[in-house]
Amino acid sequence: MAGHVDAHNDNWSIGGIADGVSRIGIVLGVLGLAAAGFLGFAQEGNTEHFYSAWLVNFCFFLSITLGGLFFVLAQHLTGATWSVVVRRLAEVVASNAWLMLLLFVPIVLGMKTLFPWANPEVVSGDHILEGKASFLNQNFFLIRSGIYFLVWILASQYFLRRSTGQDETGDIGTTLSMEKTAAPITLLFAVTVTFASFDYLMSLEPHWFSTIFGVYYFAGSFLCFVAFLSATVLFLQGRGRMKAAVTPEHYYDLGKWMFAFTVFWAYIGFSQYFLIWYANIPEETGWYYVRQNNGWTTLSWIMLIGHFIIPFLGLLPRPIKKNPVTLGFWAVYIMIMHWLDVFWIAIPNAYPNGIPFHPLYIACFLGMGGLYVAFVALGLKNRSLVPARDPRLPESLAFENA
Amino acid sequence: MRQNQQVQLELGRTPLVEGGHDFHAVTEIVSSVVERRKWPMAWWVAFLASFGTLGILGLMIGWLFWQGVGVWGVNNPVGWGYAIINFVFWVGIGHAGTLISAILFLLRQKWRTSINRFAEAMTIFAVICALVFPGIHVGRPWLAWWLFPLPYPQAMWPNFRSPLLWDVFAVGTYFTVSLLFWYVGLIPDLATIRDRATTKFRRLIYGFFALGWRGSHRHWHRYEVAYLILAGLATPLVLSVHSVVSFDFATSQLPGWHTTIFPPYFVAGAVFSGFGMVLTLMVPCRALFGMQDLVTMRHLENMCRILLVTGMMVGYAYSIEFFIAWYGGNEYEKFAFINRAFGPYAWAYWTMVSCNVLSPQIFWFRWARRNLWVMFIISIFVNIGMWFERFVIVVTSLSRDFLPSAWAYYKPTMIDTLTFVGSFGLFFTAFLLFIRFLPMVAIAEVKAVMPEAHASHGHDPDDGGNAPVGGPALQPAGGGRQ
Repeated sequence: MAGHVDAHNDNWSIGGIADGVSRIGIVLGVLGLAAAGFLGFAQEGNTEHFYSAWLVNFCFFLSITLGGLFFVLAQHLTGATWSVVVRRLAEVVASNAWLMLLLFVPIVLGMKTLFPWANPEVVSGDHILEGKASFLNQNFFLIRSGIYFLVWILASQYFLRRSTGQDETGDIGTTLSMEKTAAPITLLFAVTVTFASFDYLMSLEPHWFSTIFGVYYFAGSFLCFVAFLSATVLFLQGRGRMKAAVTPEHYYDLGKWMFAFTVFWAYIGFSQYFLIWYANIPEETGWYYVRQNNGWTTLSWIMLIGHFIIPFLGLLPRPIKKNPVTLGFWAVYIMIMHWLDVFWIAIPNAYPNGIPFHPLYIACFLGMGGLYVAFVALGLKNRSLVPARDPRLPESLAFENA
Repeated sequence: MRQNQQVQLELGRTPLVEGGHDFHAVTEIVSSVVERRKWPMAWWVAFLASFGTLGILGLMIGWLFWQGVGVWGVNNPVGWGYAIINFVFWVGIGHAGTLISAILFLLRQKWRTSINRFAEAMTIFAVICALVFPGIHVGRPWLAWWLFPLPYPQAMWPNFRSPLLWDVFAVGTYFTVSLLFWYVGLIPDLATIRDRATTKFRRLIYGFFALGWRGSHRHWHRYEVAYLILAGLATPLVLSVHSVVSFDFATSQLPGWHTTIFPPYFVAGAVFSGFGMVLTLMVPCRALFGMQDLVTMRHLENMCRILLVTGMMVGYAYSIEFFIAWYGGNEYEKFAFINRAFGPYAWAYWTMVSCNVLSPQIFWFRWARRNLWVMFIISIFVNIGMWFERFVIVVTSLSRDFLPSAWAYYKPTMIDTLTFVGSFGLFFTAFLLFIRFLPMVAIAEVKAVMPEAHASHGHDPDDGGNAPVGGPALQPAGGGRQ
């Protein structure tokens, strides 16, 4: 492969695609959010659906963002070579953290609707919830969220700016300093992601608890991010960008990450389910009980078969990971499964009587997704799609699996 | 090219083999250890000490069989004492070997080649030490075969729903695959020793185990396919073995044992303790046998980094457990954790935290990662801390559970302690024999990561055809600071 890389004639500028994509994205975003607002508030009784749908999609896009941040951190921590050609995309995706902060606003507004613990009348008299009130209360929730977003925004901006700056200077010192900073930031990342998952998802059923929950959300997030990254790369290549930079050898690694995290996600999900099932203590099994009744059973099976067994078998063969068409298929498939996973975590406790099929979920998805993709495209505008002067780039371009 | 080398150095990628050795020199360095006629005094001293300690293990087990488990400190409610602690400890030690040989191989971490043989051997001996304890823990060796689900006329079966039985399968599979992996990796090097043998006896023995290896392209090709398949098989085992071990505790309803993070937390702890043991053994061994050019500062620094990372993963688990014990609102759970940190076993708990979480923090500093004494001492701390982790988990939760009237303080007897000490005798005896008779560095694999292995370099005629040049090199492209 090395001989074929012709970096000089490769197009590393997103150019017109950014305008096209961002225009479509913003239009779709505004229309989607307007539709969501209309569906949610113009008719009576849909407010709950609105906030639930918003939360699912917020947590979905947040997971892509955080997965992107971890991807950047992990590459710097390990001094990885293969990934340099796709790292800029990850940096831009991670820097959507500020957009997630804006999208967080409706969750603050809907706190009382979403989180039982935010209602004093629910908490009072409930021994367990009273015990947690010093943690699960509105003010502390907001303070914590403020800290999370501060960490995520500062960290993602730091890496994006340093890395883009290196495009100008080509300074090796930039790489070294990013590697140094990545270590402490990873610690902050671990703490913030864990507690964010406790806050936004686990506390939806405030009686329930699971020590592995943060790892579960992380596993799904990274998986979904790699799928998103693969899809982005393939989309850009389809438009004639970075065609020489990213080769089937890189697809292969992206595919391997998807495979590995499909398995890791299953391992974490199994650990959680299995230990709770085996010990059979009512205070823990309640969470799964809801998911095994009233139509939620189907979705639980989809998690096992669709989120694990099918992609496990599908991603196993080497040629599938090296072929852009099949890799793209699995990337989209995994994103759909991860969305269902977030839905499966976030919704059953509020709707124990059955899966709420509501157009609001689609409206919120299109609205948020439109904005999300638009800002990824805008973030890539005026930037090289590949860290052009990263000292590891030549090796990454010539990268071969062995 | 010179400029490229400069960039590599600035990125911290020093060569994996230092000292400007060629292929032949690498063969010499490693093989000469095995071929030495006269062994260094230090080896004999260590061997006799280990063998003596192994004798203690034999005596203790003999006494246990003669008297029964009454000679141990186990009581009611602490029915699980040193035996399970030591079992989990030793199984954990083994994990670094499998991580290095399988996962780092799949992740193309070239630096693993200098340490994988060593760590894999350690894995096998550690698992043997671990297996001693389930075998003897009822003090009735004539019933040890009850561990296995064997059909026999009385139709007494072990409980298939018990994680203790799953352990038998998990550890058994792990041992088998690790052994195969280690042996397959050894074959080309055994052939090298065979080809260099000066006596007929050596040639016969090494030749027998080299399975007729001739270093042909076809041999290399099949070797590498087998190696990759075994790496793929061993990778889930790294996770599954200690996950199943954690089920021994986590499937119960006992506060402090039943928590969902146990499987990945045990795996991280196992890798942590395994790397601690690799460093403990590697630092003196490389000095004693002159391996400094093969196991360089860069290798040691990477291992220190892994200690730092896995140490903090363990710290993460400790903290989240503590937080959820409060958040969950279960008063028994809350008590179990407060009791751990401030109860009668607080000394053990804080030993664990200091050794596992605090002591590796020194590896944030580059000088510490490059100082042999610092890393040796910290690695000992890690071994101590990880043993205490299992002690804390097993003993604190059992000694004070739901009924205060049933509480009791567990105190190990001298027999307990000497049995544990004796298991080190078994481990070190096996290990010292390994470095005496088998190449402790994977010669062929190390050659594959040297610059000479690239196509632009020539073939070294002195080498019995055992350098994987021309054939598909074992791990050409690779990433990482490593």
